[in-house]
Amino acid sequence: MATLDQLKENESGIILNISDEQLAVQLLAMGFILGEQVRLERVAPLHDPIIVSSGTNYLSIRKNEAKLIEIDTTN
Amino acid sequence: MSATINNPLNVLLVGNPNTGKSTLFNALTGLHQKVGNFPGVTVDKKSGSFKLNETIVEVIDLPGTYNLTPNSEDEKVTEQFIRKANNEDVIVVVADVTNLKRNLLLLTQIVDLGKKVVLVLNMMDLLQKNNQEINVAKLASLIGIQVIPLNAQLGKGVGELKLAVLKATKGSIHFIDENNSDGAVDETMKRYQKINQIVDQCLTLKGEDKNVGLTRKIDNIITHKYYGYLIFLSLMLIIFQAIFSWSSYPMELIENGFLFVGEWLENTLPPGLLNDLVVNGIVAGLSGVFVFVPQIAILFAFIIILEDTGYMSRVSFLMDRILRQFGLNGKSIIPLLSSTACAVPAIMSTRTITNFKERLITIMVAPLISCSARIPVYTLLIALVIPKDKTIGFFNLQGLLMMGLYLIGFLAALAAAWVMKMLIQSKERSSFIMEMPIYRMPRWKNVGLSIFSKVKVFLLDAGKIIVAISIILWVLSSYAPTGKFEQIEAKYAHVETDNYLSQNKTDDNLSQENIDDIQSKIAAEKLEASYAGIIGKTIEPLIQPIGFDWKIGISLVTSFAAREVFVGTMATLYSVGDEDNTSSIREKMMMAKNTKTGEKLYTLATTLSLLIFYAFAMQCMATLAVVYRETKSYKWPLIQLVYMGVLAYASSFIVYHLFS
Repeated sequence: MATLDQLKENESGIILNISDEQLAVQLLAMGFILGEQVRLERVAPLHDPIIVSSGTNYLSIRKNEAKLIEIDTTN
Repeated sequence: MSATINNPLNVLLVGNPNTGKSTLFNALTGLHQKVGNFPGVTVDKKSGSFKLNETIVEVIDLPGTYNLTPNSEDEKVTEQFIRKANNEDVIVVVADVTNLKRNLLLLTQIVDLGKKVVLVLNMMDLLQKNNQEINVAKLASLIGIQVIPLNAQLGKGVGELKLAVLKATKGSIHFIDENNSDGAVDETMKRYQKINQIVDQCLTLKGEDKNVGLTRKIDNIITHKYYGYLIFLSLMLIIFQAIFSWSSYPMELIENGFLFVGEWLENTLPPGLLNDLVVNGIVAGLSGVFVFVPQIAILFAFIIILEDTGYMSRVSFLMDRILRQFGLNGKSIIPLLSSTACAVPAIMSTRTITNFKERLITIMVAPLISCSARIPVYTLLIALVIPKDKTIGFFNLQGLLMMGLYLIGFLAALAAAWVMKMLIQSKERSSFIMEMPIYRMPRWKNVGLSIFSKVKVFLLDAGKIIVAISIILWVLSSYAPTGKFEQIEAKYAHVETDNYLSQNKTDDNLSQENIDDIQSKIAAEKLEASYAGIIGKTIEPLIQPIGFDWKIGISLVTSFAAREVFVGTMATLYSVGDEDNTSSIREKMMMAKNTKTGEKLYTLATTLSLLIFYAFAMQCMATLAVVYRETKSYKWPLIQLVYMGVLAYASSFIVYHLFS
């Protein structure tokens, strides 16, 4: 299963599941909804954290948190 | 109307961060606002009022939140206020209409709580720019509440919102049943399904948000691996240069204005005790506060603009990896940079940091960052040892030294953080989930209002303390244990008589100088014998190793409550005995002599030692109070007071001996 931290800059996928409930509730409220597209916008100069986007929502997240977000990258 | 003056209608302003909530708050209340006890953007309860049809409406601006499941102390405040709202209270949910789905999540939760709600669709102009359309009437009827389209920046729709608040209703639908047993994730997904159904009926999508593309381009530069840090450092350098070069002219104006007023009062008021108190106590103290308004306003302006444009979030993003090594969080950069203005709002803004250990460390080290209250002290002391127009290449040397002091404060904060990271144990998860808002131009009216309210708070809070301490100090330095002053006068009485006798024989000018000299000697001895002198003398043995004399000792005691009092104290101490009151504090201090050795008192060693002491010592009651409030314990402010005190003393000791 691919996770969000494995994407490279400007790659995207579909959010399938967020395996931590607290994180899931927080991300859902910030507009990162299951079944919608997520894109890795930027990796910080020191390789962590990363900026990800979904629609017009932009947020930064650490790689160890992004690891908990399962995505589908088949298209 | 049910609401009266005694029992006003309460309106709670809530919404996601960056929805223009604060702009709307300003548009609703204008200058009729108060900012809790302390300054701060939206870190604390901010309230104001407006009047409509004989009804007084109290508006409370609450910290931004995404839902009713708080992740931080900040969001907890909002959640508590929403849950405690009674049947009469109206909750105004401010939504960014260009990001409607996410913004409606909070609304569905509030509607389900059965509260009276009004929905504001903000940023309508951007929606039109994106070629989108929204059917407001339909949205209102689907949820069963008032919906007001608005452009807070232009003030469009504010009048309609005021009217809507008076006839606010509860929602007519339930998004989730009360006895729903789903987990939090499923519940949120169900809410989104309902939101999607509603939004699909009301919003017609035609284009894509153009701002996103621009934001990507700007991010390419601002978060670039080299340029990113370079831009940040350059910005800091520009800010410090600006604080010095832009403020020098208005500061001179204010300084001269107060000298003029002081002289005028001295000549107008009948001579005597009151005259002396007003001129040398109050006016001298007030001048010491007002003169720093330009610098503080410039500093606040930069910080507010950096936050408003979205730049500050990117700095957090750049710094997270580095700050993590020191037990801090990327989010700590906002409190740490705000600390350059004032530690009090900075410490309150740590509420956005979810991990307690990281938040605590941020709170503990933030006061080591030089705040605006140190600016007066630094400015005065730097001017004593470095000429105003001395430059190294392009840079003003005074500005460079000032920047060096800020840098030392920042490095000390990092070092202290690292030590605390090693000492404090915690198993709580560390997180850095932070919205990166789309870049936009600063909203100048907001910037102006924020600067205004911060300067006002500085003048009122600091001014009150400074005037009070100036008066106490004047009393302490104008009175002595019985008989002391008389002894001094008696000691010099014969000298004056001798002089008077010799005056007939010699040149008039010379003897006039002699008399002046004697008078200032009398004044100096009187000050030394006064109660203030006794206090200073008592602690002198303790501070002598770091190069301070008893006069500085008095200033240390008085500025324990607030650092900026140092300048007022110096003004008062050096005004006592200056009958003509014509020279500024700086000139007086430059001429000050060590009472024992007769050499210049403010040597490079003493001045640098004093600068370092003020950079590190915890001399701010307001900060200690807010640390107590935020950590809910006496332990942390006490530890802070002690560790900063020890650090200050030790560093001053080293600096003094290095340079003397």
